[in-house]
Amino acid sequence: MHGRPRKAYKPEEEAASAAKAVKPRSLQSQFMSNHHNKIYTKEAIELSTKLLEINPEAYTAWNYRKLAVEDRLSRIESDPDLVKSILDEELVVVESALRQNFKSYGAWHHRKWVLSKGNSSIGNELRLLDKFQRLDSRNFHAWNYRRFVVELTNRSEQDELQYTENMISTDFSNYSAWHNRSVLLSSLLARRADGFMPNEKIPEEYKLVHDAIFTDEDDQSGWFYHLWLLDQTVNVETPLLISSWPSHGSRINLSGAGCLNDSSSKLPTFCFESGSFPLILYFDQDVGGVSSSTVKIDSELKGNEDLVWEPVSKKNSQVSCVWVARLKYMSSEPSFRKEYKVNVRIGNSPGIVSSRGFNFNAPYEFVFTAHVHDTVEESQESIVSWTDGFDIWDAQSKDLNSLVTLDQLNTQMDLKWRQEALAEEIDLFHALSDSKIGKLTLARLLKAEAMISGDAVKGVHYEKIVDLYNDLMALDSPHYQYYKDEHSVALLHKVTSSTESLSRYLFQYKDMNNAVCLRLNNLSLSRIGSVEKLLFVQMLDLSHNELHSTEGLEAMQLLSCINLSHNRIRSFSALDSLRHLKQLRVLDVSHNHIGKHSVDTTRYLCSSPLSNSEWTQDEVGRQMPTLVTKYWDAYFVFRDLNLKQLDIAGNVIAGDEFSSFVIQVVPKLVWLDGQKLRR
Amino acid sequence: MEELPSITVSQREQFLVENDVFGLYSYFDACDIATQKFLLEIERDKQLDYLMKGLRQLGPSFSSLDANRPWLCYWILHSIALLGDTVDDELENNTIDFLGRCQGSDGGYGGGPGQLPHLATSYAAVNTLVTLGGEKALSSINREKMSCFLRRMKDTNGGFRMHDMGEMDVRACYTAISIASILNIKDDELTRGLGDYILSCQTYEGGIGGEPGSEAHGGYTYCGLATMIVINEVDRLNLDSLMNWVVHRQGVEMGFQGRTNKLVDGCYTFWQAAPCVLLQRYYLAHDLVLHGSSHISQGTDEDHEEHAHDEDDPEDSDDDDDDSDEDNEDFEDSGHGHRVHHTSTYINRRVQPIFDSLGLQRYVLLCSKMPDGGFRDKPRKPRDFYHTCYCLSGLSVAQHAWSKDEDTPPLARDILGSYANLLEPVHLLHNVVMDQYNEAIEFFHRAA
Repeated sequence: MHGRPRKAYKPEEEAASAAKAVKPRSLQSQFMSNHHNKIYTKEAIELSTKLLEINPEAYTAWNYRKLAVEDRLSRIESDPDLVKSILDEELVVVESALRQNFKSYGAWHHRKWVLSKGNSSIGNELRLLDKFQRLDSRNFHAWNYRRFVVELTNRSEQDELQYTENMISTDFSNYSAWHNRSVLLSSLLARRADGFMPNEKIPEEYKLVHDAIFTDEDDQSGWFYHLWLLDQTVNVETPLLISSWPSHGSRINLSGAGCLNDSSSKLPTFCFESGSFPLILYFDQDVGGVSSSTVKIDSELKGNEDLVWEPVSKKNSQVSCVWVARLKYMSSEPSFRKEYKVNVRIGNSPGIVSSRGFNFNAPYEFVFTAHVHDTVEESQESIVSWTDGFDIWDAQSKDLNSLVTLDQLNTQMDLKWRQEALAEEIDLFHALSDSKIGKLTLARLLKAEAMISGDAVKGVHYEKIVDLYNDLMALDSPHYQYYKDEHSVALLHKVTSSTESLSRYLFQYKDMNNAVCLRLNNLSLSRIGSVEKLLFVQMLDLSHNELHSTEGLEAMQLLSCINLSHNRIRSFSALDSLRHLKQLRVLDVSHNHIGKHSVDTTRYLCSSPLSNSEWTQDEVGRQMPTLVTKYWDAYFVFRDLNLKQLDIAGNVIAGDEFSSFVIQVVPKLVWLDGQKLRR
Repeated sequence: MEELPSITVSQREQFLVENDVFGLYSYFDACDIATQKFLLEIERDKQLDYLMKGLRQLGPSFSSLDANRPWLCYWILHSIALLGDTVDDELENNTIDFLGRCQGSDGGYGGGPGQLPHLATSYAAVNTLVTLGGEKALSSINREKMSCFLRRMKDTNGGFRMHDMGEMDVRACYTAISIASILNIKDDELTRGLGDYILSCQTYEGGIGGEPGSEAHGGYTYCGLATMIVINEVDRLNLDSLMNWVVHRQGVEMGFQGRTNKLVDGCYTFWQAAPCVLLQRYYLAHDLVLHGSSHISQGTDEDHEEHAHDEDDPEDSDDDDDDSDEDNEDFEDSGHGHRVHHTSTYINRRVQPIFDSLGLQRYVLLCSKMPDGGFRDKPRKPRDFYHTCYCLSGLSVAQHAWSKDEDTPPLARDILGSYANLLEPVHLLHNVVMDQYNEAIEFFHRAA
């Protein structure tokens, strides 16, 4: 399809080439006749050789030769010398074809085919490749073929690594060589080959790439390799549990559907209408296989039933970094005050596997106490305010979800060499931090180091990262939004870097059992992050930011109230992740940019959700098909929510028609735009 | 490791190309307005002359491409269609007859009559016939046999082979699935395991390579992304890193490079810009935040104001009026009593491309366009039909990059040069012009 060098055809050249073309044409017709009549005589094969010399892209001729070889091989008794000479003949033809056009797919493929037969000498292949790769060091056919030969000959990856090093030392801009180096090293490091322990090898590689980066800052090759190295430095293959709710050692208060009228306690109390509360596990990467056999729970609460674990993911897949199970604490019998201990053990039996195929192998155990209160039945119809009725947070810090400690990380990750390598890089890149790429790399390095450091370092680093992204937004406006998103993430890391820092943003809402409220308003956030540290939050104020979407909030399973007013939400599909929040009752999306859905998704990219007939089965769909078609994106979100209070004013879509639609789709709605509905 | 030489071959080549390109740009900048206007003209007549001549002479002189003749038909006829023109009945009939002779008795099209059916030439043949349109062209494709051919090319590992005993790569996957989708013969058997194969070709750079282990490459990135979209598994790719990789392949010359640290090449105007716009529309359709790149507008469009020649365009003022009408639609009182300007209507109608669209058009028109028609890779290179096709396709993609879909005509200021430069919009997943795509879809829908 692409990449073949082509010649120009100027008028005077065309006449000449027309004359030359006569020969190929008659060659071609003779060849075709041989091919269709399956003639594999010496002369016929010779003819195809000629044709391929002129036109290495004649793939039909390559196929003909494969058939001819098979035919000839079937006629000779296993005489190894004869077999070898037949196959070697093919190698000669390929070589001269490649000399004519070394981007010919057919020629390279034919060579692979011949070699796969065995029997032919492969000693020459690397020598031939060296010749071609000297001529065109970026030819991806040659690199692919090289990887093929190496595998076939069991040539050591160490030798190949040396080859990439030689290529790089003659031309450090040769990204193909860097790329192959990353492929080889990935394999060597993964199997811990002799001399390839990550803690020794990765620091060496940093030194190698510095030569390229510091020789010419504008050369892309080194930077990509550096990015790959950074990835190797911070990423662990095996999945880790990074947080949970409830957290280890915590004590949670639970009550039934109604409200607890005991205001003597300042502790938040969780009311779940379903009579069960969510157990949330948050991993550092997508995992599958979380189930009652991989997560053991000991508690009187549990009864004999196995818990059902569900992935919280947008994609309906069976992997996710967030998993939830619901533990029942209310039974049909009258309940009375009681304390239950719950012990959760994860990963004692194998089965939890990352999407990249690595096993969760760090068994983890945590214990918490659930305190079940009497339920006072009371209908809760009052409007939730975002301005009044809040107290400053003063509950004990252990109610925040605990995180995996550094000690734990250390046993998992062997932190020492990683920290040292990063510290060295950071020192070095401070010197380069005048350039855009220098600043960006420094920000990435600091983020990596913060991830594996204590709270004190974290706070300082995130502060610096925020500054770096501020600089970058000003310096490099075409990529403004990328820096803006990274800036938001760093800011949230900073806010959540310590209990002390986080508690400045925490409040309690008296009228709702002292629900924990986190206020992240007015921070010009364009992206949500750090949710793993916020699993305990019940009310979230994100108003007056620059959010486009609620991606990420799906992990915060306790959320019952969200304020997204004055953001940049453009349509209801951007709220899709909220469908996972079973507790959500109060939603404020007023003053956003929600208009009629303007994108015709039926044409490309995705099939319209309405093309599946599911919606016509339900009642609302049957009652008002026109409105459902018009507001399908709102319909698909609201249908799955159980809202009592909704604010939608200040959007293009708001109006009488839409209000009447919402009232139909959300039968339990009590408050719409501050007005109590008369049902 | 030995000491590194101070300047590498790639750096020297890069330096020379920048020299050529910036030379052309500063020449342009120094010209008076009339000359500038002339230099930016697409010059349809010359383009059509070059293309028509090529089509008529699609004979002896192309011996080296004898295995590629359906490709030549597609490159030339698609270019003509992009320019809004068609060929006469005789040429049309000749092309249909010729492709008919390339169609194998067991389905699929070969590179010429009697040649083995091949996925790439089948793609070229199908796209050519879709571009010609009409009952005769469309009904000449044997859908049932094609379906058998595609099944024969399907490998147990999920991917496709180019032909019997042929190589397997992402290109084969794309051409197979594009054909299946247009002809309305796509089914579970064809798509089974395909996503896994494509996924195994995405590299840590973000782009997609030709086969597992290969480095990321613009052509394969387009093929892989388009395939994943067609089979509805696109969210399995790491789209953040893909986006990040693809937008940063646009370099200082404003054209795109095909791979990390390679020279700019006009054909990547299509291979790299199309993924940008596909991702842009995918994110828009799903209201996802574009991470990893500059992104969809908040309603500001200062980014392309810097191109001074825009302001010289007389048609521009008309469009500015048009725009302000849109912008004035919704005002309302904020809580503090002053007026807040909402730009949602505007946002819904226009998006900010995630790459520099006008810069890209500038590269194509000033560096790739040849004075006598045709387009080339870069200065000092000869023209050819392949580059002509993908420069024009990419130019069309760049012109329509601000529109939320292909049906919304671009504004004058989206188009570098006069509005007469506007090309027909293409269907981004198949690279055939939109009208022809619609006709074919309807035809094959009825055929099913």
